[in-house]
Amino acid sequence: MAVALATVALQSLEPEFFDWVWLRENFSEEVWPAVIGHLYLSLVSVGIALAISLPLGVLVARYRRLYAPVLFVTGFLFTIPSLALFAFLVAAGVGIGPRPVIIGLVSYSLLVLIRNVVTGIDSVAPETIDAARGMGLTNRQILFRVELPLALPVIVAGIRIATVTVIGIAVIGAFIAGGGLGQLIFDGIDRNFPTLVLTGAVMATLMAIFADVALLLVERYMRPWARRARGAN
Amino acid sequence: MIEFRGVSKTYPGSERPVVNDLSFEVPDGEVCVLVGPSGCGKTTSMRMVNRLIEPSEGQILIDGEPNMSMSGTQLRRKIGYAIQQIGLFPHRTIAENIGTVPGLIGWERDRIRSRTEELLELVGLDPGAYRDRYPAELSGGQQQRVGVARAMAADPPIMLMDEPFGAVDPITRERLQDEFLRIQDNIKKTIVFVTHDIDEAIKMGDKIAILKEGGILAQYDTPENILSAPKSEFVSSFVGSDRVLKRLSLTRVGDVDLEPANGYGDNLPRLSNRMSLKDALSEMIGAGAERSVVVSDGNVLGSLTLDAIRQLSGRTTK
Repeated sequence: MAVALATVALQSLEPEFFDWVWLRENFSEEVWPAVIGHLYLSLVSVGIALAISLPLGVLVARYRRLYAPVLFVTGFLFTIPSLALFAFLVAAGVGIGPRPVIIGLVSYSLLVLIRNVVTGIDSVAPETIDAARGMGLTNRQILFRVELPLALPVIVAGIRIATVTVIGIAVIGAFIAGGGLGQLIFDGIDRNFPTLVLTGAVMATLMAIFADVALLLVERYMRPWARRARGAN
Repeated sequence: MIEFRGVSKTYPGSERPVVNDLSFEVPDGEVCVLVGPSGCGKTTSMRMVNRLIEPSEGQILIDGEPNMSMSGTQLRRKIGYAIQQIGLFPHRTIAENIGTVPGLIGWERDRIRSRTEELLELVGLDPGAYRDRYPAELSGGQQQRVGVARAMAADPPIMLMDEPFGAVDPITRERLQDEFLRIQDNIKKTIVFVTHDIDEAIKMGDKIAILKEGGILAQYDTPENILSAPKSEFVSSFVGSDRVLKRLSLTRVGDVDLEPANGYGDNLPRLSNRMSLKDALSEMIGAGAERSVVVSDGNVLGSLTLDAIRQLSGRTTK
């Protein structure tokens, strides 16, 4: 529906404002690579962030004293304006291109991911853990068979927020030559060509909406036990 | 057999022990109920058996072996564990929950499946209807049944039960207690059972260990003896001023020597032989009768008088 609305909105504009012919002719050469590039930046960033956050979150859930410092550091990273962070990374010698963009996007994802891993593990009822231990599960078995499966819906909720945020911020990455849909927007501004700007903006928005809905479905799917219980009542 | 030998537990940073020099034995096939007010260390004592808590002093022997002779997880897989809050795994089906320990110790899938079905039948749940459900789809009483079935899954000789029927209404609790006693009659597990409810202790226990604050054993004996000869002020106040009635509740009408019923009319109250003496007393007082007729499946067994009950409630009679 969003696509239909956007199409109608764009078609109603002045012909010179949005050039459909250009879009049709250049889609596979200019737009599609930018979409793929954007997807790549976002997925790689969330993937790396998750690989850091899962073990760190589990560690923090075990050793509570680490939680305050971890929240402080990741919270600090989260508050830095994205443009400033990218500029800083370039100045600090990381160079330009996708690398500093991915580093920046990872650092933005850490806060929400770690917090959701910890919250997810915390949400497991203590009696469930006690019963597991009382039946002779080892700590490792309790983590992998009880705590993480039960925490998974909350973790996926975190991945959803992180992904949507990252898709948005990745647009700014084009400023330091990270590629992606931001590139279309910046090029469009440079060339005073609104078609490019709009295409980049709409595609980024659609990608964020699509990711949001898809991960919401995954989140639901992760809890067959809760779904069935609701159905039974 | 489980033996507590001078077991104490003091938490670091605390001066007063929560369990203090506990020594007693639970013979094979008996239910030992640990009972006492909150803070008496009953749950702590139970949890030291499977080493969810480690004692500070003393040791616990299981069949003569110290329970420290194997790893905690090994030990716990051999001891059934059921708790008040049940702790079923919400993300696992009923069958998967029950099959937890058999799975851990490497049973074949077919064996686990048939054991699960057997246990569901045993606790009165239709396997076909409940096997593939999730815990949230069951009522509280059904969940407690599953909790008990899960504790029995690998057929452990010893079971620890911490208020296993505590999370349900009184009527369901009584039914679960009766069912469990019927099951225990056949399986003869060695059970450490924790409750704060003295009535439950009297009903479930072959032996009762009454603990008082600070984890001190106030008395360890059969329900009969605790009710008829409380060792201290604490025990007699804990068992309550109605201990004579409680004692009557331990004996069934059919188990006492009855007088011949010859010649007594139909207007007397008729009691089932399954009824407890306490309920019989209540019936007779309610009916304003000095005498009642005891029947079993319609056959008259004999007659019971108020005098006889009075005598049976005295200290000297067993």
